[in-house]
Amino acid sequence: MAHPDVPGQPADGQTGRNDCMRKKAVPTKNSLALTSFFSADDILIHQEEGSRNQVIRHLLMHLANGHGMMEVDGYYNAIIERENANDTVVANGIAIPHARLDNLQRPYVGVATSAKGIPFAEDKPPVHLILLVLIPRDQPGLYLQILRSLASILRDRNAARTVSHLKGAEEVMRFFERGGMVLPEYVCAADIMRDELITLRNNDNLKTAIDCFISENLSEIPVVDRDGDMVGVVSAGTLLKVCLPDYLLWMSDLSPIVNFEPFTSVLRNEQSTWLSDILLNEYASVQMNAPAVSVAGEMTRRNASKCYVLNGKKLMGIIDLPIFLNKVFRE
Amino acid sequence: MYSEPVVIIPPLRAVAKIGVMAAITALVGWGSHRLGLAPTSLSMVAVCTFIAVICTTLFFWTHRVAVAFIGVAVLIGSRAMTLHGMLRATELDIIFFLIGMMVIVGALKDLGFLTWVIQAIINKKRMNGMTFTVILCSLSALLSSVVDEVSSIVVVLALVFQVCDTLKVRSSPFVLMAVLCTNIGSAATMLGNPVGIFIGNKAGFNFSQFLSGATPISFVSLLVTLGIVLIWYRKTIHQMTLVMEEHRQVHHGLGPLIRIPYRRGLFVLVATVLIIAFHHQIENILGLTGVENKNAFLIITPLVIAGLLMIYRPGRARHYIEHDVEWWTLLFFMLLFAIAGGLEEQGITQNLADKLTGLVKGGPTAMVPFVLAISAVGSAFVDNIVFVAAFTPVIQALVERSAEFSLLWWALLFGACFGGNITAVGSTANIVALGLLEKRGHLHIAFFEWLKIGAVVGIVTCVIAWLMLTFMPMPHPAGHPVVEREVIGPLHEPHLSPKTAQ
Repeated sequence: MAHPDVPGQPADGQTGRNDCMRKKAVPTKNSLALTSFFSADDILIHQEEGSRNQVIRHLLMHLANGHGMMEVDGYYNAIIERENANDTVVANGIAIPHARLDNLQRPYVGVATSAKGIPFAEDKPPVHLILLVLIPRDQPGLYLQILRSLASILRDRNAARTVSHLKGAEEVMRFFERGGMVLPEYVCAADIMRDELITLRNNDNLKTAIDCFISENLSEIPVVDRDGDMVGVVSAGTLLKVCLPDYLLWMSDLSPIVNFEPFTSVLRNEQSTWLSDILLNEYASVQMNAPAVSVAGEMTRRNASKCYVLNGKKLMGIIDLPIFLNKVFRE
Repeated sequence: MYSEPVVIIPPLRAVAKIGVMAAITALVGWGSHRLGLAPTSLSMVAVCTFIAVICTTLFFWTHRVAVAFIGVAVLIGSRAMTLHGMLRATELDIIFFLIGMMVIVGALKDLGFLTWVIQAIINKKRMNGMTFTVILCSLSALLSSVVDEVSSIVVVLALVFQVCDTLKVRSSPFVLMAVLCTNIGSAATMLGNPVGIFIGNKAGFNFSQFLSGATPISFVSLLVTLGIVLIWYRKTIHQMTLVMEEHRQVHHGLGPLIRIPYRRGLFVLVATVLIIAFHHQIENILGLTGVENKNAFLIITPLVIAGLLMIYRPGRARHYIEHDVEWWTLLFFMLLFAIAGGLEEQGITQNLADKLTGLVKGGPTAMVPFVLAISAVGSAFVDNIVFVAAFTPVIQALVERSAEFSLLWWALLFGACFGGNITAVGSTANIVALGLLEKRGHLHIAFFEWLKIGAVVGIVTCVIAWLMLTFMPMPHPAGHPVVEREVIGPLHEPHLSPKTAQ
């Protein structure tokens, strides 16, 4: 049976989710501060009563009144639809409900705090800090940039509780200003990668790979060495290629093969065929600090549906094409 | 279609290589001027351009086509070569021949013939390490003599990988054996190596003349090479025998057994070889005689058969043209021939012929080992077609003085083909084989591992070629003017060997 490895996972058991995400964005000449998207007037403190939807509607109305927004119902529906599809609780009592909206000239951020906590998702603890983010539809990546600017408070386990006990909107505003939260210049590959992935080792055999493909219902699995360095991939196509040698595939007409004759020898040898002998060295990969748009280039160039995110040679995560499309077009 | 891996060279190393290239180019340019080979500035440009392209194949293999493009532009831009001369020198007849042959090989793969060949071998009963080696070497030589060397090595290595992967035996020794025999077999006919068709066409040999001269030498060289590899790799071969025996005891085959419809492919191959073999007679029947129709039917036969195959398989026609024709290689050949044509246009090859005849006393027979050695050593380090393209006009100039010198065509052929065995970069087949080994088995053959066996086989086979060229009557090109022209330069006493009398 395959042994799922999570490469780059810290010893303390915390998820190894991208250093890039955890690292505070370094301010540059063109950096935008998170606080440039909102002011103390956009902050509601001590929202102790009400459900998730009520708090979101209340905060949205507050923003709409302050900035003259007209389509509140439409915006509200879009936010709730997004929230129902996948909750936006990111970490340690913080939720970032958001939506990509038409007819919006610039991004808007509204902040609400709750010392008691608002239940946002059934399986997660109540939320103490809510950032409502409204983004123009044609600005892909902005939400991820905002998310990354919050890296310092996402890391701090007590940040949400601390903010929720602040007494006034001005104090909350100062909290964000003191944090020096700036949007990074671009979204990097690590911002959109998934770091929980199944890998195989180069000294695994073909049987392990076949079992893993079947049990995990995967089409491609990365192969790493003992140091976690990526050495290649095995795909379902690779396995078929092992069964059907090149010299059979030279023929365009494979009708002479009516039974599974070519698979016989593979089945006999599956325990003595090592992945290092059959893995493919050609796959889509980017370094974790590469701009996320380079992922699109790499996947297109190699006609791949997955792109591996590396730190040097070490495998850090994976970006699937559907996830990439979701991040760019919908998130 | 074989895809070549792109080699990325670190910047410092690249700068060092460019420095060495520039130094070699300048030195040869200066040397050729001092020796009187390139007396004018334009002739020096032609020499330097050609040397730069040779150096590129040695130092920046990946960029050879790019540099050849620039080289042609330099020659035309500097007026060292005319546009008309460039177009004439590209040898389009040879390029068309190679295109036709590549399409035919693509169709042979598609029709299952080459799959059937591999399957027939891996399902052979009672095979052991030694019989596998003998079959492998024979197949490599035979296949490379009827299809081009690159297609041949791709097919033969598919067999090697299938057997070695199944038996878990190290494949690199068998890859080496296959490549050595491929290079030897490719010299046997005009179909085997681009060098063969180039020399055959330039010299004016017809297919049967070429066959009667080249095949015996290739065959003897193959037998001796087989003996060498059987001794050299005796431990590996013995180990394969043991593993095969174990494998057989548990009733396991070496690969899948499928009924492949091979007859159509076999018919295409036999028909192609037969028509090409009788091209001279067909040319006479059709009235395609004279210098302007030299080997006309030889050139158009692959095109006709390729055309018929594309009509027979219309759904695959585009695939044959787009994937089975090595356009990259053919483009390089055309540009290289054009650049070598620059040497001829500037009279450098004529001057070199004069110097050679003055330098090597004793006529054509004495020149054979000289040409053999030069072309073997040269082909060991740069692609053999490069050397042949450079040397051909020199030999043409010599042959124009005396038909006796046509013996040197053979010396050039065997030097280029057998010398290609010496190092890993000696021929296109070697480079393709290394690429496949690396891609398939993640293995690499070290330079010196290749050099040890390559040098032994290269030297021994060149000596065999020398001895046979000295003692065996070799055919003269068909329709070549045997009336000796007035000798210009140092050659005053044409040497008449006993073979000429025959």
